[in-house]
Amino acid sequence: MGNQHQGAACVCMRVINRFPHALRAGALVVLALVGAAVYNTLNREGIRWGPSPDGRIGIPRIFESRLPEISAAEGLKLLHSGKAIFVDARDEKDYRKDHLPGAVNLPMRNWNQAWPQVGPRLPREARLVLYCYGGACGLSTRMGKRLLELGYEHPIVLRRGWGDWTKAGYPTARRPKGKAD
Amino acid sequence: MGALLERLWRIVTSRLFLRLAGLVIGGTFIYASLDKIRHPDRFADVVHDYDMLPLWLINAFALAMPWVELIAGAALLVGVWRRASGLLAAALTVAFMIAIAQAELRGLKIECGCFSVSGMSATEASWNLFARDCLLLAASALVWRRG
Repeated sequence: MGNQHQGAACVCMRVINRFPHALRAGALVVLALVGAAVYNTLNREGIRWGPSPDGRIGIPRIFESRLPEISAAEGLKLLHSGKAIFVDARDEKDYRKDHLPGAVNLPMRNWNQAWPQVGPRLPREARLVLYCYGGACGLSTRMGKRLLELGYEHPIVLRRGWGDWTKAGYPTARRPKGKAD
Repeated sequence: MGALLERLWRIVTSRLFLRLAGLVIGGTFIYASLDKIRHPDRFADVVHDYDMLPLWLINAFALAMPWVELIAGAALLVGVWRRASGLLAAALTVAFMIAIAQAELRGLKIECGCFSVSGMSATEASWNLFARDCLLLAASALVWRRG
């Protein structure tokens, strides 16, 4: 038994002697992981280590409950009620091709240029329904975070955005009656 | 020509040059890590844009990677485990280069996320950055092999 322990220790020492820098680099990575875990626990803007339960990534824990998602069907109800402003986070060229009826274009990838023009048209207390391309697009969630930071009260993300909306055949600016016409 | 190269090699492998290289790389890595550490959510968005990792891994990567940058940078700066931290810096730089190259080859027009992720001074991932990373890689590799 004692010989086995000695053998294992000997192998360990050989590995350490053979790859000392790689092992030390590994130790630095472990230290970094500990630092990241501690800081993320204490950081108000900390995020989960994996996606949120509804599959979103990169959302600070404090914003998770303040940035709800709605389905295309719920979005349609809001559209008909007229109680929300729809904001298109896609690129301008895609917005020009077609968009949700009455939607305002605020291209997230061009935020710095677009915001000064579009921002003043969006009241802080309004319900803002944000959408992008769909699937794992992420631009609408990103915009929601930015709006929350700016003091907007009710940003809402339209789940799988434009993709689900058109798949369901709901109305768009070019086809006001949806797939029916 | 051979004598010139030999002289250049002697300079870049001198203790003073390697120490200075460690300081510069260390400072660069520390600076690059700070905004990402402060805003992990925004860095996760940048990682997402590179479209290289599965969704379940993006948050974890966005949380851990800047800390690896910070620790490697700090070790290089203070001169502790310099060769190990040089190895880590070189490995990180290779990862950055792969990310930038694939983004360029696929025509992705995305924020680099190299130093700032706050969107105020966003730099686009480009071949210029790739070239800068080549220099960083050469210096890191020197510190690792000769440090």
